Amino acid sequence: MSPSHHLRRLVVLTLALSAMSTLRAATTIIRGPYLQSATPTSMVVRWRTDNTEPSIVRYGLTRTALTTTVKAEGITTEHFVHLGNLKPNTRYYYTMGAEPVARPAAVGTKKVGAATPAAEAQDGPGRAPTSSFVTPPESGSSQPTRVWVLGDPGTKGDTQRAVRDQYYKFTDKRATDLWLLLGDNAYPDGTDTDYQKAIFEIYPETLRTVPVWSCLGNHDGKSANSITQSGVYYNAFTFPTRGEAGGVASGTEAYYSFDYANTHFISLDSHDSDRSLDGAMMTWLKADLAATKRDWIVAFFHHPTYTKGTHDSDKDSDSAGRMTDMRQNFLPVLEAGGVDLILTGHSHVYERSFLLDGHYGKSTTFNAATMVKQKGEVRADGVVVYRKPRARTAHFGDINVVTGSAGHAGSKTKPPALNHPAFYISLNEAGSSVLDIDGLNLTLTFLNDQGEKRDRFTIIKE
Amino acid sequence: MSRRATLFVLALLSATTSCAHPEIQDALDRLTTALAATPNDASLYAERGELYAQHEDWLSAEANYLRAAELAPGLPRLARARGSLALARGQVSAACRFLGQAIALAPSDPTVFILRARALARLGLTPDALADYTQAFSLLAAPSPELYLERAALFASPADALRSLADAFVRLGPVMSLQLRALDLEISLSRFDDALTRVDLLTSASERRELWLKRRGDILVLAGRQAEARATYVAAQTAIAALPAWLAASPDTVRLSTELTRLATTSP
Repeated sequence: MSPSHHLRRLVVLTLALSAMSTLRAATTIIRGPYLQSATPTSMVVRWRTDNTEPSIVRYGLTRTALTTTVKAEGITTEHFVHLGNLKPNTRYYYTMGAEPVARPAAVGTKKVGAATPAAEAQDGPGRAPTSSFVTPPESGSSQPTRVWVLGDPGTKGDTQRAVRDQYYKFTDKRATDLWLLLGDNAYPDGTDTDYQKAIFEIYPETLRTVPVWSCLGNHDGKSANSITQSGVYYNAFTFPTRGEAGGVASGTEAYYSFDYANTHFISLDSHDSDRSLDGAMMTWLKADLAATKRDWIVAFFHHPTYTKGTHDSDKDSDSAGRMTDMRQNFLPVLEAGGVDLILTGHSHVYERSFLLDGHYGKSTTFNAATMVKQKGEVRADGVVVYRKPRARTAHFGDINVVTGSAGHAGSKTKPPALNHPAFYISLNEAGSSVLDIDGLNLTLTFLNDQGEKRDRFTIIKE
Repeated sequence: MSRRATLFVLALLSATTSCAHPEIQDALDRLTTALAATPNDASLYAERGELYAQHEDWLSAEANYLRAAELAPGLPRLARARGSLALARGQVSAACRFLGQAIALAPSDPTVFILRARALARLGLTPDALADYTQAFSLLAAPSPELYLERAALFASPADALRSLADAFVRLGPVMSLQLRALDLEISLSRFDDALTRVDLLTSASERRELWLKRRGDILVLAGRQAEARATYVAAQTAIAALPAWLAASPDTVRLSTELTRLATTSP
């Protein structure tokens, strides 16, 4: 081979490498990373890039030693990497890609308010910033847990941002352990673009540090189908279907359960799955309730059992009867199973019940004498206290919370009635709920978009 | 007055009362505004019809579909939407006709096969319905448990129903709702050993073994294996004793324990 031929080959090779380098540099993370299906020993990391590339996560126990690499098969723009064999209740640092990639600019975020060390800024130029997460503790263990609950957040507007920022201010350095989305996460149609703008560009820092769980809302359902488990919502999220995060295998991401410390969380699909008494979701729910050994049971779904907010649970035609189905079919089973707290959205207000049991009809059938198990004791600090026995007891009472105003509240000029007799308090205010569970104490705070704590109650098990 | 015009008047009358919710109204307003700008856009009528259908305002949905059909009879989404609407309204033959058209236009859409399978099942055309379910399953990455239960319910023979669930366990894993249906089918066929195998699987996957051990004991009784049944009831009591004290003391568990004591001592 002549020297000139060698030279030509060298030039071609150099140009090829240069081109590859340019392509690599052009790859940008346009969604995420975000954390899914957290268990004490595993985590799913997801993100999206503008160009196809391998799905690689490097992680480790210190920021400077990302010693373990996991690579998923193939190349893609939708990245999904399952990290296994993790230690419970342990902080892991991670970054994506074998080589540096650019991160998207955070849109309108002020601070993290989550499990995010201040060291994020230490990453060198051109390096993919290192994030971190903490794995859930062993199931059944007792550990203070903070849950951020957002119902109907995805309006993409100033109210959504104000609600977010007030929570960040409220929680400050207290890490968020998990967050729940109660559906209608992305208005108006739950499209991929809606999700991008309403979720991934509004909460980027929380997404990359705190595992998020959700249930399907009616607006998400415009671009998703539970029967076929297809569409934007199902593509965006990864939820456990085989009981891998605790609970019983549901076989679907439409409804599922998971454990976090001493709490069992149940996500139901009030929008698009069969809500009949002999349906698959009901069969699964009964088995799941019977199987759990956790101290607390928290159920969440989109359509409220009771509301007189921007929806009316007394009208069978409202939401095509979904609220009626959840109240008449599912609520008795949840109450028989010893559920403690039910979180819903859909109605863009905050409504919180007494400790109740047995109200499955319309508001006119509400009988406080038989259905209010406890009105609650008001402590000096304003917190309303309810007490339950630790021994799980069917029909001892549960608290229903409608917290569907994380994106907008009802009209101020034509305010909703807010007169359902099952509720202790009803507010036409934007805000989110903060759930703190510490051993045998469960406290929920409603934080409005002005940063005011507008309701606070505690259930104590003894 | 034409059928469409009549429907439109009726639909307008009903829509003013049924669509009070602001989100629905907002979406309708958006579409109505868009239609004012492009009054011959069939897809907008179809979309508006779908919105009405989602909220079970069948009359308004049909009026919009009819208008869309006038403007663009071959609109791909229209046949599916009209089929779905007809099925929801109990017009099963019409549903089959529309859904057949939809399948011709979009033969890889699993949802249309599912809808037509339901329509065919309601017409009693079970083999055709089963074929549509099979086609839908082949097009889906993860069919929901509900679909497997729907298909299994079509079989007259429990053995066939059981066979139809086998694919679900391969694709979805040991899904509880399907395992329980399979368990009932095994028992109905007196296949007690197979039923016990399923219960053992559920027991091993459960944190609370006592409930499944009780079920195991009940199956053993049905199988005439009384001594084993009694031993299993005792094992269930042992499992209760291993529970945390607060859970063992719960009223439901206490009731179960009492029942197990009775069964362990009185089973023939």
